[in-house]
Amino acid sequence: MKLLNELTIKEARELLDKGEITSRKLTEACLDQIKSLDGALHAFIEVFENDALEAADKSDIRRAEGNTLGKLDGIPLAIKDNMLLQGKPCSAGSKILRGYVAAYDSTAVRKLIEAGAVILGRTNMDEFAMGSSTEHSAYGPTKHPRDIERVPGGSSGGSAVAVAANMCLGALGSDTGGSIRQPASLCGVVGLKPTYGRVSRYGLMAMASSLDQIGPFAKSSEDAAMILETIQGQDPSDQTTSDAEAFKPAWDSLKGKKIGLPKQAWKAGGIEERVSEKTEEALAKLKAAGAELVEIDLPYADEALAVYYILMPCEVSANLSRFDGMRYGLRKIGLPLFDTYAQSRAEGFGDEVMRRILLGTFALSSGYIDAYYVRAKKVQTLIRQAYEKAFKEVDLIATPTTPTTAFKLGEKLNDPVAMYLEDVFTVSINVAGVPAVSMPCEDDGGMPVGLQLIGQWFKEDELLGAAKLLES
Amino acid sequence: MKLSKEEIAHLAKLARLDLPEDKLERMTKDFGAILEYVDRIQQIDVEGVEPFTMPSRDQGWRPDEAVESDEVTRELILSNFPERANDLLAAPGVFETPKK
Repeated sequence: MKLLNELTIKEARELLDKGEITSRKLTEACLDQIKSLDGALHAFIEVFENDALEAADKSDIRRAEGNTLGKLDGIPLAIKDNMLLQGKPCSAGSKILRGYVAAYDSTAVRKLIEAGAVILGRTNMDEFAMGSSTEHSAYGPTKHPRDIERVPGGSSGGSAVAVAANMCLGALGSDTGGSIRQPASLCGVVGLKPTYGRVSRYGLMAMASSLDQIGPFAKSSEDAAMILETIQGQDPSDQTTSDAEAFKPAWDSLKGKKIGLPKQAWKAGGIEERVSEKTEEALAKLKAAGAELVEIDLPYADEALAVYYILMPCEVSANLSRFDGMRYGLRKIGLPLFDTYAQSRAEGFGDEVMRRILLGTFALSSGYIDAYYVRAKKVQTLIRQAYEKAFKEVDLIATPTTPTTAFKLGEKLNDPVAMYLEDVFTVSINVAGVPAVSMPCEDDGGMPVGLQLIGQWFKEDELLGAAKLLES
Repeated sequence: MKLSKEEIAHLAKLARLDLPEDKLERMTKDFGAILEYVDRIQQIDVEGVEPFTMPSRDQGWRPDEAVESDEVTRELILSNFPERANDLLAAPGVFETPKK
Protein backbone atom coordinates (compact mmCIF):
# COMPACT_ATOMS: atom_id res chain seq x y z
CA MET A 1 0.00 0.00 0.00
CA LYS A 2 1.27 3.44 -0.92
CA LEU A 3 2.01 6.07 1.70
CA LEU A 4 -0.30 9.07 1.49
CA ASN A 5 2.38 11.35 0.06
CA GLU A 6 3.08 8.79 -2.66
CA LEU A 7 -0.46 8.92 -4.04
CA THR A 8 -1.27 10.48 -7.37
CA ILE A 9 -3.70 13.40 -7.29
CA LYS A 10 -6.39 11.22 -8.84
CA GLU A 11 -5.92 8.48 -6.20
CA ALA A 12 -5.88 11.01 -3.37
CA ARG A 13 -8.99 12.69 -4.69
CA GLU A 14 -10.87 9.37 -4.75
CA LEU A 15 -9.87 8.56 -1.16
CA LEU A 16 -10.80 12.08 -0.03
CA ASP A 17 -14.19 11.80 -1.70
CA LYS A 18 -14.82 8.44 -0.02
CA GLY A 19 -13.87 9.94 3.31
CA GLU A 20 -11.05 7.44 3.82
CA ILE A 21 -8.41 10.13 4.24
CA THR A 22 -8.39 13.82 5.09
CA SER A 23 -6.54 16.66 3.47
CA ARG A 24 -4.86 17.25 6.83
CA LYS A 25 -3.40 13.71 6.87
CA LEU A 26 -2.32 14.07 3.26
CA THR A 27 -0.71 17.44 3.92
CA GLU A 28 1.01 16.17 7.07
CA ALA A 29 2.42 13.22 5.13
CA CYS A 30 3.93 15.63 2.58
CA LEU A 31 5.29 17.93 5.30
CA ASP A 32 6.87 14.92 7.07
CA GLN A 33 8.50 13.84 3.83
CA ILE A 34 9.86 17.35 3.32
CA LYS A 35 11.25 17.35 6.87
CA SER A 36 13.01 14.06 6.43
CA LEU A 37 14.44 14.61 2.93
CA ASP A 38 14.76 18.29 2.20
CA GLY A 39 17.87 18.80 4.29
CA ALA A 40 19.67 16.64 1.74
CA LEU A 41 17.77 17.58 -1.44
CA HIS A 42 16.92 21.27 -0.95
CA ALA A 43 13.87 21.24 -3.21
CA PHE A 44 12.17 24.00 -1.22
CA ILE A 45 13.30 27.55 -0.50
CA GLU A 46 10.45 27.96 1.97
CA VAL A 47 7.77 25.66 3.36
CA PHE A 48 4.45 27.28 4.36
CA GLU A 49 3.74 24.71 7.09
CA ASN A 50 1.14 26.59 9.12
CA ASP A 51 -0.72 28.03 6.14
CA ALA A 52 -0.74 24.61 4.47
CA LEU A 53 -2.23 22.90 7.52
CA GLU A 54 -4.79 25.66 7.88
CA ALA A 55 -5.76 25.34 4.20
CA ALA A 56 -6.01 21.57 4.61
CA ASP A 57 -8.34 21.91 7.61
CA LYS A 58 -10.54 24.33 5.68
CA SER A 59 -10.70 21.87 2.81
CA ASP A 60 -11.74 19.08 5.18
CA ILE A 61 -14.51 21.28 6.58
CA ARG A 62 -15.74 22.12 3.07
CA ARG A 63 -15.76 18.46 2.13
CA ALA A 64 -17.65 17.50 5.31
CA GLU A 65 -20.22 20.16 4.49
CA GLY A 66 -20.56 19.04 0.90
CA ASN A 67 -19.07 22.27 -0.44
CA THR A 68 -16.00 20.87 -2.13
CA LEU A 69 -14.45 23.33 -4.57
CA GLY A 70 -12.57 22.28 -7.71
CA LYS A 71 -10.79 19.06 -8.63
CA LEU A 72 -7.78 19.95 -6.54
CA ASP A 73 -9.60 20.62 -3.27
CA GLY A 74 -7.38 19.44 -0.43
CA ILE A 75 -4.49 18.40 -2.69
CA PRO A 76 -1.02 19.51 -1.46
CA LEU A 77 0.98 21.14 -4.25
CA ALA A 78 4.22 23.14 -4.53
CA ILE A 79 4.90 26.26 -6.59
CA LYS A 80 8.10 27.52 -8.18
CA ASP A 81 9.66 30.53 -6.48
CA ASN A 82 8.91 32.84 -9.42
CA MET A 83 5.11 32.86 -8.98
CA LEU A 84 3.63 35.47 -6.70
CA LEU A 85 1.42 34.57 -3.74
CA GLN A 86 0.26 37.65 -1.88
CA GLY A 87 1.95 38.17 1.48
CA LYS A 88 4.60 35.49 0.87
CA PRO A 89 8.24 36.12 0.03
CA CYS A 90 9.15 35.43 -3.60
CA SER A 91 12.74 35.58 -4.80
CA ALA A 92 13.04 33.83 -8.19
CA GLY A 93 16.11 32.20 -6.68
CA SER A 94 17.87 35.56 -6.67
CA LYS A 95 19.69 37.55 -4.03
CA ILE A 96 18.37 40.78 -5.53
CA LEU A 97 14.88 39.82 -4.25
CA ARG A 98 15.92 38.60 -0.81
CA GLY A 99 13.22 39.85 1.56
CA TYR A 100 10.78 40.80 -1.23
CA VAL A 101 7.16 39.99 -0.31
CA ALA A 102 4.60 39.53 -3.09
CA ALA A 103 1.97 42.28 -3.15
CA TYR A 104 -0.50 40.33 -5.27
CA ASP A 105 -1.31 36.80 -6.51
CA SER A 106 -0.24 35.30 -9.80
CA THR A 107 -3.29 34.12 -11.74
CA ALA A 108 -2.14 30.49 -11.94
CA VAL A 109 -1.56 30.20 -8.19
CA ARG A 110 -4.79 32.04 -7.43
CA LYS A 111 -6.65 29.51 -9.60
CA LEU A 112 -5.07 26.65 -7.65
CA ILE A 113 -6.17 28.22 -4.37
CA GLU A 114 -9.67 28.92 -5.67
CA ALA A 115 -9.87 25.24 -6.62
CA GLY A 116 -9.06 24.38 -3.00
CA ALA A 117 -5.45 23.28 -3.43
CA VAL A 118 -3.09 23.38 -0.45
CA ILE A 119 0.11 25.31 -1.25
CA LEU A 120 3.00 23.66 0.60
CA GLY A 121 5.75 26.10 -0.25
CA ARG A 122 7.96 27.63 -2.90
CA THR A 123 10.54 25.54 -4.69
CA ASN A 124 14.13 26.20 -5.60
CA MET A 125 15.12 27.27 -9.11
CA ASP A 126 17.94 28.65 -11.19
CA GLU A 127 18.04 32.40 -10.65
CA PHE A 128 15.24 34.03 -12.68
CA ALA A 129 14.76 30.62 -14.36
CA MET A 130 18.11 30.87 -16.14
CA GLY A 131 19.82 27.52 -16.11
CA SER A 132 19.43 23.82 -16.71
CA SER A 133 20.64 22.39 -13.41
CA THR A 134 19.26 24.50 -10.50
CA GLU A 135 22.89 25.20 -9.58
CA HIS A 136 22.39 28.88 -10.43
CA SER A 137 20.15 29.48 -7.41
CA ALA A 138 21.43 32.12 -4.99
CA TYR A 139 20.13 29.84 -2.21
CA GLY A 140 22.24 26.79 -3.06
CA PRO A 141 21.67 23.91 -5.49
CA THR A 142 18.90 21.29 -5.43
CA LYS A 143 20.13 17.69 -5.54
CA HIS A 144 18.89 14.75 -7.58
CA PRO A 145 16.66 12.46 -5.47
CA ARG A 146 18.39 9.30 -6.70
CA ASP A 147 21.97 10.54 -6.39
CA ILE A 148 22.78 13.68 -4.45
CA GLU A 149 25.99 14.15 -6.40
CA ARG A 150 23.91 14.82 -9.49
CA VAL A 151 21.76 17.75 -10.61
CA PRO A 152 17.96 17.47 -10.99
CA GLY A 153 17.97 19.64 -14.12
CA GLY A 154 16.50 23.09 -14.25
CA SER A 155 15.44 25.68 -14.04
CA SER A 156 12.39 24.24 -12.20
CA GLY A 157 14.59 21.67 -10.42
CA GLY A 158 12.97 22.20 -7.02
CA SER A 159 9.47 21.46 -8.34
CA ALA A 160 10.70 18.37 -10.21
CA VAL A 161 12.42 16.99 -7.10
CA ALA A 162 9.47 17.82 -4.83
CA VAL A 163 7.25 15.65 -7.05
CA ALA A 164 9.83 12.90 -7.70
CA ALA A 165 10.63 12.58 -3.98
CA ASN A 166 6.92 12.52 -3.01
CA MET A 167 7.13 15.76 -1.02
CA CYS A 168 3.94 16.91 -2.76
CA LEU A 169 1.39 15.45 -5.15
CA GLY A 170 2.10 17.88 -7.96
CA ALA A 171 3.80 21.20 -8.60
CA LEU A 172 3.91 24.18 -10.90
CA GLY A 173 6.97 25.11 -12.90
CA SER A 174 7.68 27.54 -15.70
CA ASP A 175 9.21 26.66 -19.05
CA THR A 176 10.95 29.15 -21.34
CA GLY A 177 13.25 26.76 -23.20
CA GLY A 178 12.80 23.45 -21.39
CA SER A 179 12.68 24.41 -17.72
CA ILE A 180 9.77 22.06 -16.96
CA ARG A 181 10.49 19.22 -19.40
CA GLN A 182 14.24 18.87 -18.86
CA PRO A 183 14.10 18.52 -15.03
CA ALA A 184 11.01 16.29 -15.39
CA SER A 185 13.04 14.06 -17.68
CA LEU A 186 16.08 13.99 -15.40
CA CYS A 187 13.95 13.25 -12.31
CA GLY A 188 11.54 10.75 -13.87
CA VAL A 189 8.24 12.61 -13.56
CA VAL A 190 5.67 14.03 -15.99
CA GLY A 191 6.34 17.65 -17.03
CA LEU A 192 4.04 19.57 -19.37
CA LYS A 193 4.68 22.84 -21.17
CA PRO A 194 1.29 23.99 -22.44
CA THR A 195 0.76 25.91 -25.68
CA TYR A 196 1.93 29.52 -25.41
CA GLY A 197 -1.16 31.46 -24.38
CA ARG A 198 -2.90 28.56 -22.61
CA VAL A 199 -1.98 29.64 -19.06
CA SER A 200 -1.80 33.22 -17.79
CA ARG A 201 1.65 34.59 -17.04
CA TYR A 202 0.28 37.34 -14.79
CA GLY A 203 2.32 37.31 -11.59
CA LEU A 204 4.98 35.02 -13.05
CA MET A 205 8.28 36.88 -12.94
CA ALA A 206 9.07 37.43 -16.59
CA MET A 207 12.19 35.93 -18.07
CA ALA A 208 11.45 35.95 -21.82
CA SER A 209 7.81 37.00 -22.09
CA SER A 210 7.21 35.66 -25.61
CA LEU A 211 8.43 32.19 -24.61
CA ASP A 212 7.54 31.75 -20.91
CA GLN A 213 4.71 29.42 -19.99
CA ILE A 214 3.56 27.94 -16.66
CA GLY A 215 2.82 24.22 -16.53
CA PRO A 216 2.46 21.23 -14.22
CA PHE A 217 4.82 18.60 -12.83
CA ALA A 218 2.94 15.46 -11.89
CA LYS A 219 3.21 11.74 -11.22
CA SER A 220 0.87 10.85 -14.10
CA SER A 221 -0.53 12.31 -17.30
CA GLU A 222 -4.00 12.39 -15.72
CA ASP A 223 -2.70 14.45 -12.81
CA ALA A 224 -1.00 16.85 -15.22
CA ALA A 225 -4.33 17.18 -17.03
CA MET A 226 -6.15 17.97 -13.75
CA ILE A 227 -3.70 20.75 -12.94
CA LEU A 228 -3.81 22.17 -16.48
CA GLU A 229 -7.62 22.17 -16.45
CA THR A 230 -7.49 24.24 -13.28
CA ILE A 231 -4.86 26.83 -14.21
CA GLN A 232 -5.72 27.39 -17.91
CA GLY A 233 -7.74 30.16 -19.45
CA GLN A 234 -7.92 33.64 -20.84
CA ASP A 235 -6.95 36.35 -18.39
CA PRO A 236 -7.63 40.08 -18.81
CA SER A 237 -4.33 40.68 -17.01
CA ASP A 238 -2.33 38.79 -19.67
CA GLN A 239 -3.07 39.87 -23.22
CA THR A 240 -1.18 36.91 -24.64
CA THR A 241 -3.61 34.40 -23.15
CA SER A 242 -5.68 32.84 -25.91
CA ASP A 243 -9.41 32.52 -26.38
CA ALA A 244 -8.85 29.03 -27.83
CA GLU A 245 -11.29 26.37 -26.74
CA ALA A 246 -10.58 25.22 -23.18
CA PHE A 247 -8.49 22.10 -22.67
CA LYS A 248 -10.47 19.00 -21.73
CA PRO A 249 -8.80 15.63 -21.34
CA ALA A 250 -9.76 13.20 -24.12
CA TRP A 251 -7.80 9.93 -23.67
CA ASP A 252 -8.49 8.79 -27.23
CA SER A 253 -6.80 5.78 -28.73
CA LEU A 254 -3.70 6.14 -30.87
CA LYS A 255 -5.05 3.88 -33.61
CA GLY A 256 -4.41 5.41 -37.00
CA LYS A 257 -2.43 8.30 -35.54
CA LYS A 258 0.94 9.20 -36.95
CA ILE A 259 3.88 10.13 -34.76
CA GLY A 260 6.76 11.86 -36.50
CA LEU A 261 10.35 11.16 -35.49
CA PRO A 262 12.53 14.05 -36.67
CA LYS A 263 15.75 12.64 -38.07
CA GLN A 264 17.51 15.80 -36.89
CA ALA A 265 16.84 14.69 -33.29
CA TRP A 266 17.08 10.91 -33.43
CA LYS A 267 20.18 10.89 -35.59
CA ALA A 268 21.86 13.76 -33.75
CA GLY A 269 25.28 13.09 -32.29
CA GLY A 270 25.87 13.24 -28.56
CA ILE A 271 22.84 11.25 -27.38
CA GLU A 272 23.78 9.03 -24.43
CA GLU A 273 23.28 5.32 -25.12
CA ARG A 274 20.92 4.86 -22.18
CA VAL A 275 18.75 7.70 -23.52
CA SER A 276 18.54 6.09 -26.99
CA GLU A 277 17.69 2.68 -25.53
CA LYS A 278 15.00 3.86 -23.13
CA THR A 279 13.32 6.26 -25.53
CA GLU A 280 13.23 3.62 -28.27
CA GLU A 281 11.51 1.25 -25.81
CA ALA A 282 8.94 3.97 -25.19
CA LEU A 283 8.42 4.42 -28.92
CA ALA A 284 7.77 0.69 -29.21
CA LYS A 285 4.96 1.10 -26.66
CA LEU A 286 3.36 3.84 -28.74
CA LYS A 287 3.62 1.59 -31.79
CA ALA A 288 2.05 -1.28 -29.88
CA ALA A 289 -0.79 1.08 -28.92
CA GLY A 290 -1.58 1.54 -32.60
CA ALA A 291 0.45 4.58 -33.64
CA GLU A 292 2.30 4.66 -36.90
CA LEU A 293 5.87 5.93 -36.45
CA VAL A 294 7.32 7.81 -39.39
CA GLU A 295 10.66 9.51 -39.85
CA ILE A 296 10.22 13.18 -40.66
CA ASP A 297 12.35 16.12 -41.65
CA LEU A 298 12.16 18.96 -39.13
CA PRO A 299 14.71 21.51 -40.26
CA TYR A 300 16.39 24.18 -38.11
CA ALA A 301 16.71 21.81 -35.12
CA ASP A 302 20.26 23.01 -34.39
CA GLU A 303 19.59 26.58 -35.34
CA ALA A 304 16.63 26.74 -32.91
CA LEU A 305 19.04 26.73 -29.97
CA ALA A 306 20.98 29.58 -31.55
CA VAL A 307 17.75 31.51 -32.17
CA TYR A 308 16.73 30.88 -28.58
CA TYR A 309 20.05 32.11 -27.20
CA ILE A 310 19.51 35.38 -29.08
CA LEU A 311 15.81 36.05 -28.53
CA MET A 312 15.72 34.97 -24.89
CA PRO A 313 18.63 37.19 -23.70
CA CYS A 314 17.14 40.15 -25.59
CA GLU A 315 13.91 39.80 -23.63
CA VAL A 316 15.86 39.10 -20.43
CA SER A 317 17.84 42.31 -20.79
CA ALA A 318 14.60 44.29 -21.10
CA ASN A 319 12.60 42.39 -18.46
CA LEU A 320 15.30 42.49 -15.81
CA SER A 321 15.91 46.21 -16.15
CA ARG A 322 13.13 46.61 -13.56
CA PHE A 323 15.53 45.27 -10.92
CA ASP A 324 17.36 48.54 -10.46
CA GLY A 325 17.26 48.97 -6.69
CA MET A 326 14.53 51.58 -6.84
CA ARG A 327 11.07 50.26 -5.95
CA TYR A 328 11.92 46.87 -4.43
CA GLY A 329 14.77 44.48 -3.92
CA LEU A 330 18.37 45.13 -3.05
CA ARG A 331 19.59 48.74 -3.05
CA LYS A 332 23.13 49.90 -2.32
CA ILE A 333 22.68 53.00 -0.20
CA GLY A 334 24.46 56.38 -0.28
CA LEU A 335 25.68 56.35 -3.87
CA PRO A 336 25.05 58.61 -6.87
CA LEU A 337 22.18 57.41 -9.06
CA PHE A 338 24.21 55.59 -11.72
CA ASP A 339 26.25 53.74 -9.09
CA THR A 340 23.10 52.88 -7.14
CA TYR A 341 21.80 51.10 -10.25
CA ALA A 342 25.06 49.51 -11.33
CA GLN A 343 26.26 48.36 -7.91
CA SER A 344 22.85 47.11 -6.72
CA ARG A 345 22.46 45.04 -9.88
CA ALA A 346 26.02 43.69 -9.91
CA GLU A 347 25.70 42.63 -6.28
CA GLY A 348 22.17 41.24 -6.57
CA PHE A 349 22.47 39.23 -9.80
CA GLY A 350 24.44 36.03 -10.28
CA ASP A 351 26.91 35.55 -13.15
CA GLU A 352 24.57 33.61 -15.45
CA VAL A 353 21.91 36.31 -15.20
CA MET A 354 24.46 39.03 -15.93
CA ARG A 355 25.87 37.02 -18.83
CA ARG A 356 22.41 36.88 -20.42
CA ILE A 357 21.68 40.55 -19.74
CA LEU A 358 24.94 41.46 -21.51
CA LEU A 359 24.19 39.12 -24.43
CA GLY A 360 20.76 40.68 -24.87
CA THR A 361 22.16 44.18 -24.58
CA PHE A 362 24.62 43.26 -27.32
CA ALA A 363 22.06 41.61 -29.65
CA LEU A 364 19.76 44.63 -29.37
CA SER A 365 22.43 47.28 -29.70
CA SER A 366 22.72 49.66 -32.60
CA GLY A 367 24.73 48.08 -35.41
CA TYR A 368 24.01 44.50 -34.31
CA ILE A 369 20.23 44.35 -33.90
CA ASP A 370 19.61 43.42 -37.56
CA ALA A 371 22.22 40.68 -37.64
CA TYR A 372 21.06 39.15 -34.35
CA TYR A 373 17.62 40.03 -33.01
CA VAL A 374 15.82 40.72 -36.30
CA ARG A 375 17.49 37.83 -38.05
CA ALA A 376 16.60 35.48 -35.19
CA LYS A 377 12.95 36.63 -35.39
CA LYS A 378 13.01 35.73 -39.11
CA VAL A 379 14.43 32.28 -38.38
CA GLN A 380 11.68 31.94 -35.74
CA THR A 381 9.16 32.33 -38.59
CA LEU A 382 10.94 29.52 -40.47
CA ILE A 383 10.92 27.29 -37.38
CA ARG A 384 7.18 27.80 -36.90
CA GLN A 385 6.61 27.06 -40.59
CA ALA A 386 8.65 23.86 -40.24
CA TYR A 387 6.33 22.72 -37.43
CA GLU A 388 3.22 23.70 -39.42
CA LYS A 389 4.47 21.65 -42.34
CA ALA A 390 5.36 18.68 -40.14
CA PHE A 391 1.91 18.70 -38.54
CA LYS A 392 0.32 18.40 -41.97
CA GLU A 393 1.88 14.94 -42.17
CA VAL A 394 1.77 13.74 -38.57
CA ASP A 395 -0.40 14.17 -35.45
CA LEU A 396 2.39 14.25 -32.90
CA ILE A 397 6.17 14.47 -32.87
CA ALA A 398 8.47 12.54 -30.52
CA THR A 399 12.08 13.15 -29.50
CA PRO A 400 14.21 12.35 -26.47
CA THR A 401 13.63 15.18 -23.96
CA THR A 402 17.33 15.58 -23.26
CA PRO A 403 20.48 14.14 -24.83
CA THR A 404 21.80 12.86 -21.48
CA THR A 405 20.65 11.66 -18.07
CA ALA A 406 21.31 13.70 -14.91
CA PHE A 407 24.89 14.97 -14.84
CA LYS A 408 27.20 15.63 -11.89
CA LEU A 409 27.01 18.87 -9.92
CA GLY A 410 29.61 21.28 -11.24
CA GLU A 411 30.16 19.30 -14.44
CA LYS A 412 28.78 21.98 -16.79
CA LEU A 413 28.89 24.98 -14.50
CA ASN A 414 31.93 26.57 -16.10
CA ASP A 415 30.97 25.86 -19.68
CA PRO A 416 27.85 27.88 -20.60
CA VAL A 417 27.55 26.40 -24.09
CA ALA A 418 27.63 22.81 -22.74
CA MET A 419 24.89 23.79 -20.28
CA TYR A 420 22.86 25.43 -23.07
CA LEU A 421 23.12 22.25 -25.19
CA GLU A 422 21.10 20.44 -22.49
CA ASP A 423 18.07 22.16 -24.02
CA VAL A 424 18.81 21.28 -27.65
CA PHE A 425 15.63 19.17 -28.01
CA THR A 426 13.33 21.38 -25.95
CA VAL A 427 13.90 25.00 -27.04
CA SER A 428 12.40 24.82 -30.54
CA ILE A 429 9.03 23.98 -28.93
CA ASN A 430 9.00 27.35 -27.12
CA VAL A 431 10.22 29.14 -30.23
CA ALA A 432 7.26 27.62 -32.13
CA GLY A 433 4.82 28.02 -29.21
CA VAL A 434 3.51 24.44 -29.39
CA PRO A 435 2.76 22.23 -26.35
CA ALA A 436 5.04 19.36 -25.29
CA VAL A 437 5.25 16.88 -22.45
CA SER A 438 8.17 14.92 -21.07
CA MET A 439 7.08 11.40 -20.07
CA PRO A 440 9.24 9.15 -17.90
CA CYS A 441 10.44 6.04 -19.73
CA GLU A 442 10.24 2.70 -17.97
CA ASP A 443 11.82 2.86 -14.52
CA ASP A 444 14.57 0.33 -13.91
CA GLY A 445 15.90 2.11 -10.83
CA GLY A 446 18.70 3.84 -12.74
CA MET A 447 18.92 7.47 -13.83
CA PRO A 448 15.57 8.42 -15.36
CA VAL A 449 15.08 9.13 -19.07
CA GLY A 450 12.28 11.16 -20.63
CA LEU A 451 10.51 10.92 -23.97
CA GLN A 452 9.26 14.23 -25.26
CA LEU A 453 5.94 14.28 -27.12
CA ILE A 454 5.15 17.45 -29.05
CA GLY A 455 1.59 18.35 -30.02
CA GLN A 456 -0.12 20.85 -32.27
CA TRP A 457 -1.06 24.31 -31.01
CA PHE A 458 -3.79 23.98 -28.32
CA LYS A 459 -4.11 20.20 -28.76
CA GLU A 460 -2.95 19.24 -25.27
CA ASP A 461 -5.81 16.72 -25.21
CA GLU A 462 -4.19 14.67 -28.01
CA LEU A 463 -0.78 15.13 -26.45
CA LEU A 464 -1.73 13.86 -23.00
CA GLY A 465 -3.89 11.13 -24.54
CA ALA A 466 -0.80 9.70 -26.20
CA ALA A 467 1.27 10.31 -23.08
CA LYS A 468 -1.11 8.21 -20.98
CA LEU A 469 -0.51 5.17 -23.18
CA LEU A 470 3.14 5.23 -22.12
CA GLU A 471 2.09 4.66 -18.52
CA SER A 472 0.33 1.33 -19.04
CA MET B 1 32.22 37.50 -34.09
CA LYS B 2 34.42 38.31 -31.11
CA LEU B 3 34.11 41.19 -28.66
CA SER B 4 36.97 42.82 -26.81
CA LYS B 5 37.02 43.36 -23.06
CA GLU B 6 36.47 47.08 -23.69
CA GLU B 7 33.34 46.33 -25.71
CA ILE B 8 32.02 44.09 -22.93
CA ALA B 9 32.74 46.90 -20.44
CA HIS B 10 30.69 49.25 -22.62
CA LEU B 11 27.78 46.78 -22.69
CA ALA B 12 28.02 46.44 -18.90
CA LYS B 13 27.75 50.20 -18.60
CA LEU B 14 24.69 50.27 -20.87
CA ALA B 15 23.12 47.47 -18.80
CA ARG B 16 23.98 49.22 -15.51
CA LEU B 17 26.19 46.42 -14.21
CA ASP B 18 29.25 47.39 -12.21
CA LEU B 19 31.55 44.50 -13.09
CA PRO B 20 35.03 44.08 -11.62
CA GLU B 21 37.98 43.35 -13.91
CA ASP B 22 37.98 39.56 -13.31
CA LYS B 23 34.31 39.25 -14.20
CA LEU B 24 34.77 41.32 -17.34
CA GLU B 25 37.53 38.96 -18.42
CA ARG B 26 35.38 35.93 -17.71
CA MET B 27 32.41 37.40 -19.61
CA THR B 28 34.64 38.26 -22.58
CA LYS B 29 35.80 34.64 -22.76
CA ASP B 30 32.24 33.25 -22.43
CA PHE B 31 30.96 35.67 -25.06
CA GLY B 32 33.47 34.30 -27.56
CA ALA B 33 32.12 30.75 -27.20
CA ILE B 34 28.45 31.78 -27.13
CA LEU B 35 28.65 34.08 -30.15
CA GLU B 36 30.52 31.40 -32.06
CA TYR B 37 27.58 29.08 -31.39
CA VAL B 38 24.75 31.51 -32.16
CA ASP B 39 26.47 32.85 -35.28
CA ARG B 40 25.23 29.74 -37.13
CA ILE B 41 22.01 31.66 -37.81
CA GLN B 42 24.00 33.91 -40.14
CA GLN B 43 24.17 30.99 -42.61
CA ILE B 44 20.38 30.59 -42.93
CA ASP B 45 18.72 32.08 -45.99
CA VAL B 46 16.10 34.50 -44.68
CA GLU B 47 15.55 36.33 -47.96
CA GLY B 48 11.91 37.46 -48.10
CA VAL B 49 11.06 36.03 -44.65
CA GLU B 50 9.15 38.29 -42.26
CA PRO B 51 10.21 38.48 -38.61
CA PHE B 52 7.73 36.56 -36.43
CA THR B 53 5.28 38.66 -34.46
CA MET B 54 2.72 37.39 -32.00
CA PRO B 55 -0.79 37.43 -33.47
CA SER B 56 -2.48 40.33 -31.74
CA ARG B 57 -5.98 40.27 -30.36
CA ASP B 58 -6.19 44.00 -30.98
CA GLN B 59 -6.20 44.86 -27.35
CA GLY B 60 -2.94 46.71 -27.46
CA TRP B 61 -4.25 49.63 -25.49
CA ARG B 62 -6.34 49.83 -22.38
CA PRO B 63 -7.71 52.93 -20.65
CA ASP B 64 -5.14 54.47 -18.34
CA GLU B 65 -7.27 54.40 -15.25
CA ALA B 66 -6.09 54.69 -11.68
CA VAL B 67 -7.37 51.65 -9.78
CA GLU B 68 -7.77 51.74 -6.02
CA SER B 69 -5.82 49.05 -4.24
CA ASP B 70 -6.91 47.58 -0.95
CA GLU B 71 -5.05 48.34 2.26
CA VAL B 72 -3.23 44.99 2.39
CA THR B 73 -1.87 45.36 -1.15
CA ARG B 74 -0.92 48.97 -0.53
CA GLU B 75 0.98 48.13 2.66
CA LEU B 76 2.84 45.30 0.91
CA ILE B 77 3.92 47.60 -1.92
CA LEU B 78 5.12 50.22 0.56
CA SER B 79 6.92 47.67 2.71
CA ASN B 80 8.94 46.53 -0.30
CA PHE B 81 10.43 50.01 -0.81
CA PRO B 82 14.19 49.85 -0.15
CA GLU B 83 14.02 53.29 1.51
CA ARG B 84 10.89 55.17 2.37
CA ALA B 85 9.83 58.54 3.71
CA ASN B 86 6.47 57.89 5.32
CA ASP B 87 4.34 56.65 2.42
CA LEU B 88 6.70 57.92 -0.25
CA LEU B 89 9.45 56.04 -2.02
CA ALA B 90 12.82 57.60 -1.25
CA ALA B 91 15.26 57.54 -4.16
CA PRO B 92 18.68 59.04 -4.85
CA GLY B 93 18.53 62.50 -6.45
CA VAL B 94 19.05 62.52 -10.18
CA PHE B 95 21.51 65.43 -10.13
CA GLU B 96 23.01 64.89 -6.68
CA THR B 97 26.19 63.26 -5.51
CA PRO B 98 25.46 62.15 -1.97
CA LYS B 99 28.01 62.73 0.76
CA LYS B 100 29.58 59.50 1.94
